Amino acid sequence: MPVTRLLYPLYQLGNPQLRIFRPNWFLTLTKPGKEQPPDTVQFRIPMEMTKYDVKNYLEKIYNVPVGAVRTRIQFGSNKKRNHLNQKVKQPDYKVAYVQLAPGQTFTFPDIFPQKDQALVEGSVEEMQEKFMEDEKQRQKPDPRRGGVTEWFGL
Amino acid sequence: MAASSTAGRVLTLCKQFQNVFRISSALKAQNGAVNLSNYRSHFNREKSVSAAPSWCSPITSVGQCRALHTTISRRGLDEFFDFSDNWGETNVKSGAPWTAKQLRTKSSEDLHKLWYVLLKEKNMLLTLEQEAKRQKVQMPSPERLRKVERSMIRLETVVNERETALRLLQTGQEKGRPGAWRRNIFGYVYWYRFKEYAIPWYMNRRYKRKKFYTPNFVQPHIRLRIEKYLRQKARQTILKKQTQAKLKEKFPHMKISSS
Repeated sequence: MPVTRLLYPLYQLGNPQLRIFRPNWFLTLTKPGKEQPPDTVQFRIPMEMTKYDVKNYLEKIYNVPVGAVRTRIQFGSNKKRNHLNQKVKQPDYKVAYVQLAPGQTFTFPDIFPQKDQALVEGSVEEMQEKFMEDEKQRQKPDPRRGGVTEWFGL
Repeated sequence: MAASSTAGRVLTLCKQFQNVFRISSALKAQNGAVNLSNYRSHFNREKSVSAAPSWCSPITSVGQCRALHTTISRRGLDEFFDFSDNWGETNVKSGAPWTAKQLRTKSSEDLHKLWYVLLKEKNMLLTLEQEAKRQKVQMPSPERLRKVERSMIRLETVVNERETALRLLQTGQEKGRPGAWRRNIFGYVYWYRFKEYAIPWYMNRRYKRKKFYTPNFVQPHIRLRIEKYLRQKARQTILKKQTQAKLKEKFPHMKISSS
């Protein structure tokens, strides 16, 4: 990602507030693992972000009224071992629980709905399907033999 | 060929947008906003990434820009998800990333607006990626993430270029953070980057603890260090020569490598 090493001027009492012009913070809206109240949204946020940053981010960029923000840091598992039997650390991340302003609810939508597609007539997939079905029919043993193996008998 | 076709599409889009603006300027601001939101829903998100944003063509005034902006961000948290037409698709079409050449023609304001568009797009893609990972399905068109990242990096470089040019004009400083070559206590020369302090340097005990000089008794050690380096270099060359000679003895018809 673009790495702008921004060096802010030293803050002295009475100076204007520090501004961010091109924020390179990226939020990930995740589906909560545990059941959450309907007005709570769960995000994965960068470690450097604070509660106030999240609130400002959502209000200024996304125009979402925010009631309260709670954060925690999720410890990434350190249990995995690689092929040299060294411990491999999964990265930690910060989780933010954003409570929306009163009267607002949010439910995580199903973004991977199952779509059953009707195969197009005369397409390669359709022919393949037909061929496979025919083959399966052919591979089936004779039902009149009643399950007796092929090599037995005349 | 693809570039020319996209350029053509962009041109037509711009024209359509201008028409919409003309209509909306005649109506009230509210109606204009509604018009725009309807219009926007017609074309896909992919164009917002690739094609030139025509919000701020020189004809439009600031007020119209603002009306357009509010209509876009009205989706709220739904902006973390793709348009619902693209849900469940195996691949989603997307345009090429922005090139630095394209970005150089844009104004600073436009670049900052584009940054936020790209930021939202990336947030959407990260959400999609995470959800796909959770459900253990393939993410539709994962190359979009890289495209957005590339355009962001290019945007950053373009903005930095402009900043540098302005700084050179105004102050003549080459770097954003001033500095100087300094020598430390071991005789190494390095680029020291200046830092702001709230108090003058002679009152700053932490700054005064730093040593930007080389004492005289270090001189022999510097000499030794140089000698060590030269010996190492010489040893390497000798070793190389010896191995080459040995190989020559073993295989007289061997070609001698150039290095």
